Amino acid sequence: MHLYKSTKLAIAFVVGVLTLQLACRKYQDDTTNPDDEWRSGGEQTVFDQGSGAFGHAFNGLPAYLARVHEVGDVQFNATFVSAPAPLNPGLGPVFNNVSCSSCHVNDGRGKIPGRGESAANMLFRVSLPGVGEHGSPLPVPGYGDQIQNRALLNYQPEADVAIGYTNESFAFGDGTSYELRRPTYTITNPYRPLPQGVLLSPRVAAPIFGLGLLEAISDVDILAREDPSDLDGDGISGRANWVWNIDEQRTTLGRFGWKANQPSLLQQTAAAYFADIGIANRLFSDTDGVLEITDSLLYAVDFYLRTLAVPGRRNVGAATVQQGKALFLSLGCSKCHIPDQRTAVTTAFPQTSYQLIHPYTDLLLHDMGEGLADNRPDFLADGNEWRTAPLWGIGLTQKVNGHTNFLHDGRARNLQEAILWHGGEAEAAKDRFRTLGKPDRDAVIAFLESL
Amino acid sequence: MKTKAITFSCLLATVLFITLSCSKDDDGNDGTDDIALQEEILAQVATNVCEDSYIDMHAKAVALNEAITTLNGTTTDANLAAAQAAWRDIRTTWERTESWLFGPIDADEIDPRIDTWPVDFNDLDGILANGDELTEAYIDGLEESLKGFHPIEYLLWGENGNKTAAQFTDREKAYLSALGENLTKLSADVKDTWQNGYTQELANAGRGSSEFATRQEAFLQLVDAMAGICDEVANAKIKEPFDAADPTLEESPFAKNSFTDFKNNITGILLMYQGKFNTDGKGLEDLVRTHNLSLDAEIKANHAAAIAALDAFNVPFGEAITTRQSDIQNAMDKINALATTLEGKLNPFVLQYVR
Repeated sequence: MHLYKSTKLAIAFVVGVLTLQLACRKYQDDTTNPDDEWRSGGEQTVFDQGSGAFGHAFNGLPAYLARVHEVGDVQFNATFVSAPAPLNPGLGPVFNNVSCSSCHVNDGRGKIPGRGESAANMLFRVSLPGVGEHGSPLPVPGYGDQIQNRALLNYQPEADVAIGYTNESFAFGDGTSYELRRPTYTITNPYRPLPQGVLLSPRVAAPIFGLGLLEAISDVDILAREDPSDLDGDGISGRANWVWNIDEQRTTLGRFGWKANQPSLLQQTAAAYFADIGIANRLFSDTDGVLEITDSLLYAVDFYLRTLAVPGRRNVGAATVQQGKALFLSLGCSKCHIPDQRTAVTTAFPQTSYQLIHPYTDLLLHDMGEGLADNRPDFLADGNEWRTAPLWGIGLTQKVNGHTNFLHDGRARNLQEAILWHGGEAEAAKDRFRTLGKPDRDAVIAFLESL
Repeated sequence: MKTKAITFSCLLATVLFITLSCSKDDDGNDGTDDIALQEEILAQVATNVCEDSYIDMHAKAVALNEAITTLNGTTTDANLAAAQAAWRDIRTTWERTESWLFGPIDADEIDPRIDTWPVDFNDLDGILANGDELTEAYIDGLEESLKGFHPIEYLLWGENGNKTAAQFTDREKAYLSALGENLTKLSADVKDTWQNGYTQELANAGRGSSEFATRQEAFLQLVDAMAGICDEVANAKIKEPFDAADPTLEESPFAKNSFTDFKNNITGILLMYQGKFNTDGKGLEDLVRTHNLSLDAEIKANHAAAIAALDAFNVPFGEAITTRQSDIQNAMDKINALATTLEGKLNPFVLQYVR
């Protein structure tokens, strides 16, 4: 009797539990997804879908570290002016922009200039054929490895670049046509003649959140995915870039930049301060050796970048999104845009330790075909190779940056065009996408927009 | 028995846990009953707060531009004072709008072109010394640290804040005039972008808006912007010069306008919350008061405390950071407390009640 009663009671409890679970299913739909994929940045995921979605600090930083993040944030936004000045001196004399955040607006993706506008928020790498010091691109005398297209008063900008586009028509498998715009770049008003055969490669500012997590993936895990001779015969190779690491004075794995030509966030940051803004620092300085940013501020900016959290996904449970994810896997996109990565264990910085993250990148170089090629080698990356771009947060680009221009030079006007520009190792996957019916294509886009 | 007892307590614990974890959804207020109110709030906030504020800012830019023209024509101390007053006037509106710093002002990169700090004095002096024709187009092509509010402030007040009409040069007048025109043009840009579509994007959130797929997205954007300005004021504008004990880090030093700026930043939060800029309409307040009166009281009390803390000074900010340290710390604490309420309570409130 007693047993019977308690069983009945237990059943009542279970029913109650189920009812309650159902009752709150709608609210918690995304957050109960069994494979956790809504949390793109693992523990370091934030749930903001607004214009500030890329700008949040890691969760649960202790107060003293949160303060370092804030100091770095202020410095990231600091506008530099010509020296001498009471605040932020050292700009230029030639430069690309006046602060980090003027290109990485809202910690996001740079906007490309419209037709006829000057190339703000975009920069142009230049080099000569051949190899420079430590395997780097060969600098152009008088220009270095990028064109600084702005200058202080009474100085001359190195040059400007005119951007043009030619439209080309293609067709989906179902016969619907589509257009892609192919960019052309012309250097104008060079301050001194450019040598013949200069290699030019455009770059838009990349989003900067989640980089600390990408930095926390171990070299071993990245290298394990390398397949330079395509031994598994899937048509996809994947190579690591090996680049000069100034602090370590040796060649180490390249991780950051469109061609994975920077080994660490610190070096990437220091290089950008020096070349883009003209701020000499510990790693990069003029021959006079005068530093324009202190080491501690440089490290604070590095820390700021390392501790920007990743926005969580939206609508993970929606049917079209699920369908799009399945297609993303079956088309072969996920062979390079690796969904799941696990960061290395670190006791030094537990915030990034052993996190299951969903960056959708392998951080390796792939031949992306002639269409996207910049034909400008950068360390081991050849003229056709680009690093697999992380896709996390990509669906928030419109909200955060007010545009949907993708790829290294922003030529794609939306996600679908970005897919359709893929070639080389991604040609087969692109073609499978191209021959999908419209509902399936839309589902893939819906999936990308949920990232 | 013992096993059963444990099973029961486990069940009970589970039920309690689940009940608590979804209590937000089970109190009968799942957000379905006040959709009309939410839509009304968004529509009125878009019009009465955001759009109105940019209309107001543009009107004040026109007024400032006129005051500069008058000053340039008849350079008297009285006309200088009038131009300075017009600058303070538009600055009040602008600082208030920083509590809703999203949309065109952000996406079209207007903010850095009108409110960049610091000023590049070397190049500003260089322009005053060279022979270039100072047109609006010329100003528009200059670096951001050479245009907008702060170069205007510098030219109106002078480096030490005590400029007189007699000190104005013709070059300064020409520069000032072009700066005024540029500011007027950019403020018209923002106003027009709201009036020609963005207002409707916000008003129609979740009803075909391409900018805001859901009402929740729009409400979260509002809350995020409100909390964001707290962070900016407390942890950057006040804290950086305070920690460094360095008055040269102060923004807006020539007019000694910093405390006014801070107060207007924080005032903007309440204007958004209550849905009134010039006209009183529906605001977030109306939704909060429907469901949670104590949260409403907490937001207003924290807001009043932050304003009171900023009111406690009778010396300029640049001086207060070294002479009134505990008051400065108190101001930062009070603003941070407001931010904590907005992020920690108002944000979850929106997640709970708005879809």
